[in-house]
Amino acid sequence: MNLMYLLQMTDSTFPVGAFSFSNGLETAAHEGIVHDAATLEQYTRSVALQGAFSDGVAALIAYRAVKNGDIDAVREIDRQLILFKMNDEARMMLQRMGKKMAELAVRLFPDSDIVARWLEDIKAETTPGTFPVAQGVVFAVAGLTEEDLFASHQYGVINMVLGAALRCVRVSHYDTQLILQKLSADVPALYEQAREMTFEDMNSFVPEMDIFASMHEKGNMRMFMN
Amino acid sequence: MPIPKFPELTTDIAIESFDSAKEMKPYLTRPRAMHVGAPGKHGYLNLGFELDREGKSILRELDRRAPLIVQQELYFDQSMPEMPCVYILSSGGPNIDGDRFRQNITVKKNAIAFVSTGAATKLSTMYDNYSGLRQNIVLEEGAYLEFLPEPVIPCAHTRFISDTRMCVHPTATVFYSEIYMGGRKYYKDGELFQFDILSVCTHGERPDGEQLFREKFIIDPRRSPIRDVGVMHGYDIFANVVVMTPPDKAAEIYQATTAFIDRKHKIAAGISHLPNGAGLLFKVLGMETGPVKKTVREFCSKVRMAVKGKPLPDEFPWR
Repeated sequence: MNLMYLLQMTDSTFPVGAFSFSNGLETAAHEGIVHDAATLEQYTRSVALQGAFSDGVAALIAYRAVKNGDIDAVREIDRQLILFKMNDEARMMLQRMGKKMAELAVRLFPDSDIVARWLEDIKAETTPGTFPVAQGVVFAVAGLTEEDLFASHQYGVINMVLGAALRCVRVSHYDTQLILQKLSADVPALYEQAREMTFEDMNSFVPEMDIFASMHEKGNMRMFMN
Repeated sequence: MPIPKFPELTTDIAIESFDSAKEMKPYLTRPRAMHVGAPGKHGYLNLGFELDREGKSILRELDRRAPLIVQQELYFDQSMPEMPCVYILSSGGPNIDGDRFRQNITVKKNAIAFVSTGAATKLSTMYDNYSGLRQNIVLEEGAYLEFLPEPVIPCAHTRFISDTRMCVHPTATVFYSEIYMGGRKYYKDGELFQFDILSVCTHGERPDGEQLFREKFIIDPRRSPIRDVGVMHGYDIFANVVVMTPPDKAAEIYQATTAFIDRKHKIAAGISHLPNGAGLLFKVLGMETGPVKKTVREFCSKVRMAVKGKPLPDEFPWR
């Protein structure tokens, strides 16, 4: 049963709206900087590394807080993750997907008090309700493991970029599946690092991606919301 | 012959430690040269700017320990001659392992100030330990600070960590910039991204303790691919600028600033809003310090124009 939950919540058709976002790829493709399988692989790796050491860490911390019954700690990591997000579109993406995840979770887990309370907090705007934190909450409630959560998170981040790539970069399904397989191989090692980290250790160094994000925000490309 | 043991002298100021940072764990060996925080390796600076009785901004407080040096303030800014300007100098040459520096800058109510460094900050090759810098920047009501230092040059196998806290009143403006070169680009065959680690954390808060943002980057070129698309890609220099300013000024500056990638001149820049209405973040990537510094100064000029109604003067030709 757990494997079925894991597949359900990791599937790209899980309705949290991941398909609306490109994480800056739209601009990188428009500028001709990401233009083939090799440059797409590099770009996706940058997104995956950044995700592992910020959002991935936050998801793990939220998961553990739920396991400890500490809702204040869930709110704290939610707040810390927003403090760490340096552009409007990134914050919007995390909050939109996080709210959708919470709305879905109250239907999937109607007996869970913590899921119900989490959605109430988001609606009352007492917490930002970011997506990685919602993932942590839901995985803990569903009885899945930390490793499941981290793998699902990384899969989601990688697949979001690759899904967008099929719509804006000249690459084939074969290319994107090969990239997915290659980058998935890094996930266990990333987990070993991320599991040791607190919110103070969260870090990110993707200056070129930050510039793409800024150009997207200022520009008028609108196939994707970031 | 055994080396004789000398007493470990310390100064009267507490030594900053970053030993608890996970990324510095591999670099905690005792330096074979002078010990951590020895006099001369334990720089301390306390700068306090405020208005005097005539309403002129002055450097009222100045406390320093070697190797950091600040002399009296000068008023050399041609477009804002009322602004005290100081250069931070380091008499010790490059930062070496075991250095622990602390810099406090306070700008009191309605005062203004400009702080820079006299030359690039060189981070020397390190073998045992690391070099650390803790900064505390405090701006009171209506205060204005431009912190515009020369670039940082990390040599091969350097290890550097910094923590910068900015506590800024909602009516004040701080322009805080840092420029990092990939290394000694023209040394021997070129020495780029051969350092061990750079760990840089910048966080902002209000006087009541409300946290606004926290940015941390760790550059560890041996562990993650620095030349990948999205990271440094083909660029050699990176500038990071934090501007904490009221939301109406931030909106004006954001409007006036373009995000661009100039393929011909290999320079790119982007601007975004910090969370919680704290202000703006501006990033530049380039190949040489000249054009990157120029882009940072042009951005500073937009900030000064929005907040003080005046542009930055031309840079001195020798800088």
